[in-house]
Amino acid sequence: MVGLSGGEKHYIQGGIAQDLRTDGRTRLAYRQISVQTGVIPQANGSARVKLGGTDVIASVKAELGKPNYLYPDKGKVAIYVDCSPTAAPMFEGRGGEEFSAELSLALQRCFLGGKSGAGAGINLSSLIVMEGKMCWDLYIDGLVISSDGNLLDALGAAIKAALSNTGIPKVNVAVGASADEEPEVDISDEEFLQFDTSGVPVIVTLTKVGRHYIADATSEEESQMSSALSISVNRHGHICGLTKRGGAGLDPSVILDMISVAKHVSEQLIAKLDSEISAAEVEAE
Amino acid sequence: MAGKSSTYSLKKQHRLKKPLFKDLVDWVRPDTRGFHQCRPAFLRTGAVNAASGSAYVEFGSTKVIVSVFGPRESKKAMLYSDIGRLNCNVSYTTFATSIRGQGSDHKEYSSMLHKALEGAVMLESFPKTTVDVFALVLESGGSDLPVVISCASLALADAGIMMYDLVTSVSVSCLGKNLVLDPITEEESYQDGSLMITSMPSRNEVTQLTLTGEWSTPKIHEMARVITTTRWLRPYCDYIEDEGHLRSTCFKLHPELRPKNGRGKPRIAAISEVPFSSGEGGA
Repeated sequence: MVGLSGGEKHYIQGGIAQDLRTDGRTRLAYRQISVQTGVIPQANGSARVKLGGTDVIASVKAELGKPNYLYPDKGKVAIYVDCSPTAAPMFEGRGGEEFSAELSLALQRCFLGGKSGAGAGINLSSLIVMEGKMCWDLYIDGLVISSDGNLLDALGAAIKAALSNTGIPKVNVAVGASADEEPEVDISDEEFLQFDTSGVPVIVTLTKVGRHYIADATSEEESQMSSALSISVNRHGHICGLTKRGGAGLDPSVILDMISVAKHVSEQLIAKLDSEISAAEVEAE
Repeated sequence: MAGKSSTYSLKKQHRLKKPLFKDLVDWVRPDTRGFHQCRPAFLRTGAVNAASGSAYVEFGSTKVIVSVFGPRESKKAMLYSDIGRLNCNVSYTTFATSIRGQGSDHKEYSSMLHKALEGAVMLESFPKTTVDVFALVLESGGSDLPVVISCASLALADAGIMMYDLVTSVSVSCLGKNLVLDPITEEESYQDGSLMITSMPSRNEVTQLTLTGEWSTPKIHEMARVITTTRWLRPYCDYIEDEGHLRSTCFKLHPELRPKNGRGKPRIAAISEVPFSSGEGGA
């Protein structure tokens, strides 16, 4: 945790109340965001996102698997986050495991939608190779390299960038295979299919410090928070997931207010992220 | 389907039928409840003798038992803390779900229970000590976590742990165009989105909120209305559509229940006229 003196705490809280934070930002402004894609050659897609001092990597790996018998027409996606103890000493041991699990859960909630797959950022039907027999399993792994607050937003942005960088090999299913046999497949190593990532949401975390809430909190600001709401919003302004952190309770009307502010902030974040991702793709080529 | 073989397939047994209720407006819930109606509930404190406090709660077929131990000395390895620790653990019995041992899928429930309760418990009232909250789901019938949270807050109160308010929790599932309150397992497995809210009703504060699936703004507002108009602590009469009593004791519906002499029980305003000193009530 961050150790702060009484004066520093007062300075942070006072700045937030005056709409001028310690690094000169206003309450709803994000830090400088930079995106780099294709950083991991072994993965099907990857991206590194730096958000101020926070630095994360996301990788997407695709493997052929069998669909769940309840949803034979859908592929599977799993999201895991690893917090390396090199980023902060508190990530070591059980504390780190719990924190990683919390982040993974929040990301799963924001990206995977309901049990039936509705509202998912990734169209699960596009992962199917052969209905009921074979599908792509996507493994999305996040890694925290350096932590300076607002990890969830950075991981969300990294996953969005990694997914738009992902190419799934084209699979040709051998025709004539009977229904009972395992289908024979031919995985192309030249032709790749791109995802439609327009529906992938971004995550906006609003951290409540005192009576105000701020976007993109640094770790110093996070140490002063009473509660935080992470809201994932897609391009259409629909809410795709929401999680609350922090012990203090919130008034229901404040929550609705935060949701509408998050929607407004997300429009700017999506536009900024889109231009960064396309710039990174051009650079990679 | 007349299959060739007649071997018993376990997998088929558990395959749920695709429900008809996708986009229809007037389908009936599997247990014939209204969309905005909770399952019948049974709550009891003092279920376990050995614990400092315990509670047993049934919501329909979801059955949960929670024991609270402590406050007791924190383990030696723990660092000094001037506020108390809350240690939460949620486990499932192996027979809680239709497929044996499926309850182990819910590893995140322990941390979610902790997050829901930490805002309500006055941790500063027991420094250097730990309170253990152990929840066991005996039967999983849907909306397990909200039932666990409500039950745990009852058990904490039973143990005499200081709290700002009792914590109540409920989940809402979105199925097609409809919002259904307190979903059962079958409804949960086909939901398009879900929302769980944990609140302290008399402080009007939300301690925990999670949401999945895609929600438009009107849906969010409808959800907020459904949740805030659902009476959790106050008895609610759906005949005169007001709170204060239940339908079964509504005088409008059952005039024979109205007290015979006088104008019924004194109203709350009348009580304040009673002088503080005398117990006889304005004699």
